Amino acid sequence: MFTKPFRFDRADRLADACDLLRRHGEGAKVIAGGQSLLPMVNLGLVQPDVVIDISRAADGRDITRDDGYLTVGALVTHARLAADELAGRAQPLLGAAARRIGNARVRNRGTLGGSAAHGDPAAELPLVMVALGGAYEVTSGSSARTVRAEEFHLGYLTTGLEPDEVVVSARVPVLGPQWGWSFQEFSRRDGDFALAAVAALVRSVDGVIVESRVAAGAVGDRPVRLGDVEAALSGADAAGIAGRVGPLRGVRPAGDAAAGAAYRAHLCRVLVIRAVEQATRRSAEAA
Amino acid sequence: MSDQVTTTVTVNGHRVSRAAGPHLTLLRWLRDVAGVTDPKYGCGEGICGACTVLVDGVPTSSCLVLAAQVDGAAVTTAAGLLEPDGSLGPLQRAFHAHHAAQCGFCTPGMLVAAAAMLADGRRRSRAEIRAGLHGNLCRCTGYGPIVDAVEAAQAAQPGPAAGPRRDAGVGGAGAGR
Amino acid sequence: MTGRRRPVAAAAAGIRTSKAGELRVVGQPLPRHDQAEKIAGSTRYAGDLAVPGMLHARLVRSPVPSARITRRDAAAALAVPGVACVLFGEDVPHNVIRIDVPGQAVEVAALQASMEVLATGRVRFHGEPVALVVAETEDALAEACDLVDVDYEALPAVTDPEQALADGAPAVHEQGNLLGEWRIDRGDVDAAFLAADAVVEGSYRTQAVDHAYLEPEAGVGWLDDDGVLTLRVATQVVEHYRDVARILGIPESRVRVIAPYVGGGFGGKEDMTVEPYLALAVWRTRRPVRMQWTRQESLLARPKRHPMRLRYRTAALADGTILAQDIDITADAGGYAYLSALVLLYSAVHACGPYRAGSVRLRARCAYTNNPPTSAFRGFGGMQVVFGYESQMDRLARRLGISAADIRKRNALARGDVLPVGQVIETEVLLAETIDAVLARAGDKPAPSGPRKATGRGIACNMQSYGRLVWLNDSAAAWVGFQLDGSLTVRCGVPDIGGGQASSLAQIAAEVLAVPVDEITVHFGDSALTPLAGTTTATRQLLMSGNAVYEASVRLRDAVLRTVAEETGQPAEALRMEPGQVTGGGTLVDIRDALVACRRRNVPIEALGTFFGPKGRPVVRDLRADRVFPDFTFGTHLCDLEVDLDTGQVRLLRYLAAHDVGRAINPRSVHGQIAGGAAQGLGMALLEEVAVEDGVNLAGGFFQYLIPTATDLPDIEPVVLESGEGMGPFGARGIGEPPIGPPCAAVASAIHDALGSRPTVLPITPERVLACAAQSRPLPGQDRVSRR
Repeated sequence: MFTKPFRFDRADRLADACDLLRRHGEGAKVIAGGQSLLPMVNLGLVQPDVVIDISRAADGRDITRDDGYLTVGALVTHARLAADELAGRAQPLLGAAARRIGNARVRNRGTLGGSAAHGDPAAELPLVMVALGGAYEVTSGSSARTVRAEEFHLGYLTTGLEPDEVVVSARVPVLGPQWGWSFQEFSRRDGDFALAAVAALVRSVDGVIVESRVAAGAVGDRPVRLGDVEAALSGADAAGIAGRVGPLRGVRPAGDAAAGAAYRAHLCRVLVIRAVEQATRRSAEAA
Repeated sequence: MSDQVTTTVTVNGHRVSRAAGPHLTLLRWLRDVAGVTDPKYGCGEGICGACTVLVDGVPTSSCLVLAAQVDGAAVTTAAGLLEPDGSLGPLQRAFHAHHAAQCGFCTPGMLVAAAAMLADGRRRSRAEIRAGLHGNLCRCTGYGPIVDAVEAAQAAQPGPAAGPRRDAGVGGAGAGR
Repeated sequence: MTGRRRPVAAAAAGIRTSKAGELRVVGQPLPRHDQAEKIAGSTRYAGDLAVPGMLHARLVRSPVPSARITRRDAAAALAVPGVACVLFGEDVPHNVIRIDVPGQAVEVAALQASMEVLATGRVRFHGEPVALVVAETEDALAEACDLVDVDYEALPAVTDPEQALADGAPAVHEQGNLLGEWRIDRGDVDAAFLAADAVVEGSYRTQAVDHAYLEPEAGVGWLDDDGVLTLRVATQVVEHYRDVARILGIPESRVRVIAPYVGGGFGGKEDMTVEPYLALAVWRTRRPVRMQWTRQESLLARPKRHPMRLRYRTAALADGTILAQDIDITADAGGYAYLSALVLLYSAVHACGPYRAGSVRLRARCAYTNNPPTSAFRGFGGMQVVFGYESQMDRLARRLGISAADIRKRNALARGDVLPVGQVIETEVLLAETIDAVLARAGDKPAPSGPRKATGRGIACNMQSYGRLVWLNDSAAAWVGFQLDGSLTVRCGVPDIGGGQASSLAQIAAEVLAVPVDEITVHFGDSALTPLAGTTTATRQLLMSGNAVYEASVRLRDAVLRTVAEETGQPAEALRMEPGQVTGGGTLVDIRDALVACRRRNVPIEALGTFFGPKGRPVVRDLRADRVFPDFTFGTHLCDLEVDLDTGQVRLLRYLAAHDVGRAINPRSVHGQIAGGAAQGLGMALLEEVAVEDGVNLAGGFFQYLIPTATDLPDIEPVVLESGEGMGPFGARGIGEPPIGPPCAAVASAIHDALGSRPTVLPITPERVLACAAQSRPLPGQDRVSRR
């Protein structure tokens, strides 16, 4: 509504945005889908001097698979990711998370790169990236680098992006044989910010969990791998999962007006159990 | 790079070209610059849906996109669902028949969302219709009559559309939850 | 149902009315005349109007809940190009809005409360207006508002109403923190408790909720060609032109308020919102001005529903007969009075519910705090107490081993019973019938959908007044006039906020005068050009303006029929109106010819009707009155839900809402009000809360303030009963507010059924549901007060 005026520039390629970021300096913000930036602008929480539009950049739009990895361009919208058949076969956890983001309009414009760069602790895609051990490719225009998701998401609305960098793509391992997956989220209404979210992958052999990757979101200032849960699950059969997931160390959510700390921690545990159980079922089906 | 940008958008079939500050959202541009007032300001957060328009056929929160970002696009508002002679289109007639508007403020956005949902020709259950309307808030009706109207419009329309598949993300993502 | 009562006005005038079976238009589910434009998207709401040369206005508000203002400086803001003016309180000719605090004895509180239009010395709530900025563009406004320099020196804040009433609490206002108090003392409560077979106690808390209409506050103002200050604003009350005139120090006849179709009101547009500020901006700049509040501003600054703490002790015999109620209510009035005293009065009158209560001791108090202010919201105090009295009925039922339905029927009010306040119930009460209706339609309770789920069913009854407090000398006027071609014009000051207020008038006039509905035009909501009909609040408009239109239409009809009788020699009693003609006794006269005859005979073809509401003496603090409200609407809701035992998430499976509406003038509108009211009540039950911490309003937007979406609600099933016993036209009762009452109690009741323990604090969040699930089922014969 009452936004202070800002100027507008457009980048035809992602790398050009980096040049523009350098040129315009501190008051510049990149906009892609705008579904994270514009609410903050409309509420007066952010007041950029210049907005650099990359929504029509020619690159950053591919979804490709090679060599056991799936690469998704930064400008792929959540709606497209949720519906993409290649992504759905290669790494279904991504699409499952994308389907839970906001409402349909948000998914029509919001992008993977935008979600990553924004760094909301309750965001679905960063959670999945951490669970998968994925990595982002970012560019500063002249050079590119790869940053592991766990090192990229640093805290509340804080990422490892330098001021003149933009996300180019996200790369995740393809779901391997014998692996099952699950994405669980709890919110007051569909599409609301999650009070707790869990992404889980399980590899089981003959009904026994051999390996797992479990990460939780919305219960801290960034997604967190639950290494102690992963260790405890090793050797569990389907019926024994719940018993092996004790109180989650390292999950110490803050309480607020929306929900208390103890309840959030409890929710997280419930979702961990549900996610691991579903991932284990899928692992068995994959066999 | 300038303080004013000229944005050209086809609104409900009419080409509109205006210069304005680039910080204007499509919603503000439509309402204050182009004089198109059926999309409404309800929250500025993309949550209430009162500002829903189609941008090149895709349901969009017009408060969460800059007009400058959609230069050259085709925008459809609720008024764009009218017949050429200005009478109510089929979906609007269904809304009318089922008393789907009370205060009417959510109605333009609700119509656009429903129109996008019906465009793929799929037959949706009441639960799926509700899921498809999930992003449009109404404070007056409790949604029942709106679902009735969409269901009736769905029943009245011919079979699946032959058009290109759109990334509407509507109904598929939320359905069945 | 049975019989049909004549509307009060018609009966008094001895005017012949149509019999029930002969109604042509009333009772038909006609589409409302405003629907087509709204669905076409062409309706222009208050914020849709753009006037050439329009300026824009915005308020600068206090960021703190309790402070002294030590410095205000507009210099930097004024330096922004395009800024027309920056106003502080000193720039307002009469910087005060006065509110009567009725019924108060001086030892309780001041008889009149006041607030400043723009705060000068002190701010008392987070968001209180301090400055008004007016500029050529919204961009300039955004710059300038940030540059208005105000310094605040924090003062101690009081943020709990009970603490506010304790000794030594910081004084929000000079006269102390007790704003209002009502008492009822009837019979011998202590003796009744001693004689009782069962006593149940409960302590309940309701929360602050926001109206969350889709249309944020907005309006456009200008000076017309005669210099009349004209405001076209989203409002429920066009009579605020008087308040505006007082603030500006100009004659009331020089201010005009126009209410276009409003995008939802629910009581949130009952107090002034943009009116005084828009008026100031227009008056000062002499130019048109628009003001549009943001959603975040609306969530911050609009007065909310009163949070209440309700303490009930209920005594009953073993057969379920209630012997006594001992009730204590404390409500949070926030920083300023607004309508708080009246809201608490409603709570006091409604506190025992639709039941015979025996002996009653009640104290209802509202306290000033530095929390967000509170005022009118659908149900207006009569709504929060439903959670109290229905929870008590359920507890009693379980304690005594009686069903929820039977205990309610046993105690249900009937015609001739006397309410605790002293008012006699004069109309038929169909409470038992509404209970039976929902139970019959509901069938069996659904089974849980999985092993970690539980289902529950709850019912809740309520009563809610319609029509305003009788000592307010309520009245409404409407003008009905024929055009020479037989079409009809209705002029009435009623604001239409989405409940079909205007189209109901067309339907009533159509019934009496037989003019087809699509040949009737209703001009409404203009304080200068339409007869004043009072507020669209208090579920009063069908009763008041409906009866005014009815009365005017009947007089007009009789004048036309008398004229035709004289022209044709037919007796008037043999004639009747039909579409386009007057017929009877073998005669047929085209309506246009009849109207020409009227004009030839100097018979007016228009009529002004005024309906006066029932009268009563003003109440005092110790409530004892033979009539407080004109009448009440009764109903029962039923809720089936499923609880996820691991997360506490509640899924509504089924919801039925039955009300006796007297007569459904337009069944579609009635269904719409019932479903919409129930939906809003369910939002309060499960989702909504304006979170406040140390007086700071934390509701930052719709991402935090959660209202029900299409996937949060089942199909709400209205069940309409028609006793014909209402005081509105054709025996109608009001239905705008009543449906919002039962949902919170119905949901709590269903959760009690599912889990064995009942939530006593609203909203019923998943977290609170889990806390209930964690409590063991009470042993038979024992009662427990649920603790969080």
